[in-house]
Amino acid sequence: MITFSNVSLLYPRSTKTILEDLSFEIEEGEMVLVMGETGSGKSSLLRLVNGLVPHHTGGILAGDISVDGISTRTVKPGAFAHLVGIVGQNPLNGFVTDIVEEELAFSMEALNFAPDVMRKRVEEVLDILGLTAIRHRSIATLSGGEQQRVAIGTALVMHPKVLVLDEPTSALDPIAAEEVLSVLHRLVHDLSVTVIIAEHRLERVIQFVDRIIHIEGNGETSIGLAEDILKRAELVPPIIRLARALNLDEIKTSVREVRRQTEEIRTRDFPATVSNARASTPAIVVSDISHSYNGKIALHKTSTTIGHGEIVAIMGRNGAGKSTLLHAIVGLHSPDSGSITVNEIDPVTLKGANRRRAIGYVPQEPSDLLFSQSVGDECAQADRDNDLAPNATWKLLNSLVPNISLNTHPNDLSEGQRLALVLSIVLSASPEVLVLDEPTRGLDYRAKNLFALALKEYATQSNRPVLLATHDVELVAELADRVLFLAEGEIVADGSTLDVLLSSPAFAPQVAKIMSPKPWLTVSDVVTAIGNAE
Amino acid sequence: MRKPLHPLTLWIAAILLAFGVVALDSAYIALAIVGAVAIFVYIRRDGSPWNMSFALSLRIGATILAIRTVVGVLIGVPIPGRTLFTIPILHLPTWMPGIRIGGAVTIERLSSSLHEGVIIAAMIALFGAATSLTSPHRLLRVTPSFIYEIGITLVIATSLFPQLATSVRRIRTAQRLRGTEKVHLRSIALPLLEESLAQSLQLAASMDARGYGISRKRSRYRPQQWLFRDSAFVAVTTLITLAMVAQ
Repeated sequence: MITFSNVSLLYPRSTKTILEDLSFEIEEGEMVLVMGETGSGKSSLLRLVNGLVPHHTGGILAGDISVDGISTRTVKPGAFAHLVGIVGQNPLNGFVTDIVEEELAFSMEALNFAPDVMRKRVEEVLDILGLTAIRHRSIATLSGGEQQRVAIGTALVMHPKVLVLDEPTSALDPIAAEEVLSVLHRLVHDLSVTVIIAEHRLERVIQFVDRIIHIEGNGETSIGLAEDILKRAELVPPIIRLARALNLDEIKTSVREVRRQTEEIRTRDFPATVSNARASTPAIVVSDISHSYNGKIALHKTSTTIGHGEIVAIMGRNGAGKSTLLHAIVGLHSPDSGSITVNEIDPVTLKGANRRRAIGYVPQEPSDLLFSQSVGDECAQADRDNDLAPNATWKLLNSLVPNISLNTHPNDLSEGQRLALVLSIVLSASPEVLVLDEPTRGLDYRAKNLFALALKEYATQSNRPVLLATHDVELVAELADRVLFLAEGEIVADGSTLDVLLSSPAFAPQVAKIMSPKPWLTVSDVVTAIGNAE
Repeated sequence: MRKPLHPLTLWIAAILLAFGVVALDSAYIALAIVGAVAIFVYIRRDGSPWNMSFALSLRIGATILAIRTVVGVLIGVPIPGRTLFTIPILHLPTWMPGIRIGGAVTIERLSSSLHEGVIIAAMIALFGAATSLTSPHRLLRVTPSFIYEIGITLVIATSLFPQLATSVRRIRTAQRLRGTEKVHLRSIALPLLEESLAQSLQLAASMDARGYGISRKRSRYRPQQWLFRDSAFVAVTTLITLAMVAQ
């Protein structure tokens, strides 16, 4: 279906080739995962399939790519519209009209399809993707999972043979992600659509894929069966790390298979681990706050206390009130009723330098905080803001991620580097409380590890609380002491990470699913437990 | 969901009624029609953003009415009648004959100003009602295809503006929370510019990949149909207008 022969790619004004001498073939009805570090060229590879690269971006392409026998050299990307459907990282940016049904018809209108054909296909796609109930809705009012399904639908109406998706679940909560992935799975199996998908959160997709294209840091690319590639790869999901830690002879990618392999371990008896719950003094006190937007209740009588040195994760579906709670805590708005104090101060009253020292906040789009022309300028600005010695922020950044050039424009950093920059700017004020909104979108496992370490260090060394809203179950398992689970603006679960994550199957991390009913969340939990027993 | 009328129906009705209001030239009937239209808008509203435009048109109408009345009372030719109160006359140079500023304010002068203001405000309210009940995007779909090409760019632009507004809000709050009290234009403009550029590029890429501009001809998905109730609606308004004109 798709043939890459000796493909190399060089972007304009760049001296480094993104892909080198890449050759592979993908069959009809295959699901292929593209994995690699951030900035390794995954997106470029995906956009090569229908010629968006280099037709749209410029650059030099050597070798040849053909889809269903048509070379991307000879025709424009638009001519592939009936053959290749492409769904971008942020579907909202790719939508042209405002109503679901019209958005689905857009491609067909552009290609002058007959009205009766259009109508039939739209109805078909509405059924396949379960969008019938929202067909007349405005796209902006849909949830993330629904938007992603609409985006897939806009590609599917053309009856494409290939579907290309760039991180389709990165902004979704685990349940919505499951929804999208099961739709893809069905398309592959029922309609024989070839699916190429790039994703950082391998734990979500790994069980569905047939083969993996692995782009390594040094530019080398390998393609092979999922098990073979994962055996050697460096950035692997917890399920593979577990297999390595336990020295399992075969690498398997689904929870079911690994459960069979580890049956013996699960039947052993282990001494119950004593949880060392530390009593700590309260830092953030939220009492009985309610908040509503335009008559819609976002938070309802929510109360909680977060102690010094605690790392607390706020989880829940998209739109459950996570961001509203965070915004109230950082003092963006006063709640309609109830009160919040952060170290006995009302956060709404904080201003300027006092605010920086009291609350450090990393927003959902970290780049919102950046406005200088280079990394050096940003660091210098932070030094001036916080009366620090010159280069203090820069040193902090270097301890998080080494090897960033001072002259780089913040926009040219990778997602992980940019987050590190924002984090070091925020931390340079040494805030009493750190609050982060969905910090790990688009981070690979390595960047996520570094980030988790930095947060842990901040929390333990200076005994200060960290509060983060996230969809990333694996991160929560590694990092958080406590989880607040929100639904419809109310806290429905509040307890240790272990209790909350184990109690809900949708939010359980991979290791917990494999090792259930043993109370282990991460690979290191398993290793320590086994080590203690021996 | 209630099935909407054909987007042109309400516009035709609005034009007809506006014509009738001007022809009849009665402030009371004009006010009655605005009242009836307000009830109609209230019943038919569907929660879309352009529903606000009726309220906006009422506000514009009220402003015009106020200005028209004040100006009409202050400036103009004296109309004889019962004097309410007198304001001092401002003496103008001799080359501006016939215009008087100030002077006696009669009931007749006040009521004629009010009357004209009400007629103008009513017309604005009528068009406001038509706008508030028809999505601009749906209106665009019934336009002839040579306008449609321009139209689709307008659609894209209009769906981009709300996005831009949200981005500005997001960036401002983020920076306020960083403790930057004086938010400089530069510190908003730069992230915003980068973001909107990146977004436009993504949109262009998406449209490109979806075959936009490949075919010279375009087809229409679910063309708006002119139904019997549209004809009935237009017929009723035509009758009302005829009655008003004939008076």
